[in-house]
Amino acid sequence: MKRRTSGLRGVGVAMILLWSLVPIYWAIKTSLQTEADARAKPAHYLPTNATWQNYATLLSGDGDVPAQIRRSTLNIVIECGAATVVTVLLATLAAYAFARMQFRGKTVLFYAVIATMAFPAYTTLIPLYRIMSTFGLVNTYTGIVLVYVSGFLPLATWILHNYFASLPSGIEEAGLVDGAHRLQVLWHLLLPLARPGIISTALITFLFAWGQFLFPLVLSSDLSTQPLTVVIASLQGRHVVPSTLLNAAGVLAIIVPAVLALAFNRYIVNGLLAGSTK
Amino acid sequence: MLRIRRRTGTRITPPRRRTALIAGLTGLALVLAGCGDGGNGQAGGGSTQTSGVTITVALASDPPPKAALEAFTKQTGITVNWVNLDWDSLQNKISAAATANTYFADATNVDWSRVGQLGKLGWYFPMEDYVDTAAMEADVPQLASFKSDGHVVGIPYDASIMVTTVNTEMFQKAGVNPAPKTMDEYTNALRTIKSKGVVQYPLNIPFAAAEGLSTYWYEATNAFGGSVLDKDGKPQFATPDTAGYKAAQWMVDALKSGLVPPGNINVTDSQGQQTLMAKGVVASTFSDYSGTVGTLYGIKASSSVVGKVKYIKTPGVSGPAANLSNPDGIGIPKKAKYPNAAAKFIEWFTATEQQADFSGVNGPDKTMPGYPLPSHLSAVKQMTAKGNLIGGADLEPMLEGSKPVFEGGAPAWYPKFSNAVYTNLHAAATGSMSVEQAMKAISDTATQLASGS
Repeated sequence: MKRRTSGLRGVGVAMILLWSLVPIYWAIKTSLQTEADARAKPAHYLPTNATWQNYATLLSGDGDVPAQIRRSTLNIVIECGAATVVTVLLATLAAYAFARMQFRGKTVLFYAVIATMAFPAYTTLIPLYRIMSTFGLVNTYTGIVLVYVSGFLPLATWILHNYFASLPSGIEEAGLVDGAHRLQVLWHLLLPLARPGIISTALITFLFAWGQFLFPLVLSSDLSTQPLTVVIASLQGRHVVPSTLLNAAGVLAIIVPAVLALAFNRYIVNGLLAGSTK
Repeated sequence: MLRIRRRTGTRITPPRRRTALIAGLTGLALVLAGCGDGGNGQAGGGSTQTSGVTITVALASDPPPKAALEAFTKQTGITVNWVNLDWDSLQNKISAAATANTYFADATNVDWSRVGQLGKLGWYFPMEDYVDTAAMEADVPQLASFKSDGHVVGIPYDASIMVTTVNTEMFQKAGVNPAPKTMDEYTNALRTIKSKGVVQYPLNIPFAAAEGLSTYWYEATNAFGGSVLDKDGKPQFATPDTAGYKAAQWMVDALKSGLVPPGNINVTDSQGQQTLMAKGVVASTFSDYSGTVGTLYGIKASSSVVGKVKYIKTPGVSGPAANLSNPDGIGIPKKAKYPNAAAKFIEWFTATEQQADFSGVNGPDKTMPGYPLPSHLSAVKQMTAKGNLIGGADLEPMLEGSKPVFEGGAPAWYPKFSNAVYTNLHAAATGSMSVEQAMKAISDTATQLASGS
């Protein structure tokens, strides 16, 4: 019976791995082929005559496409980096307040913040666009970062709230008894202890921001702010799709999140599980 | 707040979802336009300045050559900031900007299928206020596709028509006429090609639930001697004796009888062109895009059938049918910062001489990358005369005789209608519903939309 369960588990794990990895493999394989090879019938399951040409087209040279890729990569790093820093900063303060301080309406306010995560993203697109337009923030880094922060703050607050709530309150009480004020307690005592939670919150925020498409599409008008995800889409013609070039661009776009996810997997899992066990 | 996404690859969102998004945004836009004060005819208060300004032009296309844009700037004092987005993303942006009643560009793409919505929203300036559209009509047959409530919403800058392409070698191998004139002749020729083993599946129909399936059906309906909607937007395909019903039946039968590859259930229009037609897997695409012979099937790097694929007059009931237009246009949103400067740009961008340059008549330096076919007949004639247009002699009369997909112009509710068309035709192809059920479902949707409910 046990062997049978183990066998089924193995099959399940294999299916999940295939489901997750085959599309990534196919993208990498296609990115290393010419259009003719990629569209050959029957399909080649291994890259025949592998070539780096698509990557060379995207990364080197003085043409429009390399320039767009380079600039949009810089944009996405700036936007995601800034959104992460601001989100983590604000979420830390909010989470600490919700977890440790007593004030009227705390529970209602906390659940109200958390409840916003249930709103479908698209419902806020037009109001946000209008607000950003009114304040002249369309096609600016500030506008895109603000929208990301507003989107990711509830989740970040929730993760950090769970983290702070799981820390023993005795440390904080000792600090207060010794004469430290709230911010000193937070900075000197709790933040060092909450560092893993902060790292995981930052990673999760960065990864989610990296994957955004529709919001930056609407809020950016040209290459001065368009992130990589939006620029990759523009490589596609209406009737002709350069599939190998698109796959190469897609592979480049997933390198940063893939490296972060693999290198800091432990933090991400811990962050999402924070507060689930006592 | 933002929805959390697991993948970075949002750009490969399935067409159905993308169009659903456009439909959703447009629906919201129409509701807001109806309720609010920002609706019909309210100008955005842009500047009339036409010199020393920078305008943003957003099209789903690479920019014209740098030298051409610089010459325009020198001539007018208007600098052009070109924004190139893929077509679906651009439609999302246009819908979002329309809904939010805000600026994002001075001149944008106006696709033929969005003319009804944009006209009803009153979000674009009437082009007849800026350009002599009446004088243009004779030379630009597709201008008719850009009229809404008597106003010209955009000026076509290219001429895309739905055409039939055939691999002449395969037809000849099977001993059949490579230029069938009627649907019966065409269908019988395809059957012969299959029965003689020239290819296993001779016909390409993109049955994936996407826009390309809808346009294919419109062209097939036209070939069967009818149109999908009448001039009031009422459906014309509910009963088996109608052209639309016959066209749907013909398409589904072609799949079920093995004329179409079974895998085409998930093939989109561009995939079918690139992986089936260009690779010699099929012998014909009934509703193809004008320009593919020169830009795809005739290019060695992308095609194994170079020199073998030709345009033929689209077969009809008793003789060749007219071709339907699906051109791209350019218009001026009412929130444009510099509408007059944008109009100057549009006038320049859509002029015959410029189109001749863009299409390669006057050398590769002046060619605009990916430019399909000029919207001016006179420019097409120049191309044909200089031998720059592959299949030009065939395309020219087709362009001249082309007609809009919808007699009364694309309705304001087109995205929802198209969504119903491809969803139900796809379902009929997979066998999850009959052709009769599909036609009824589409017809009911159209009736409901036309009645405004």
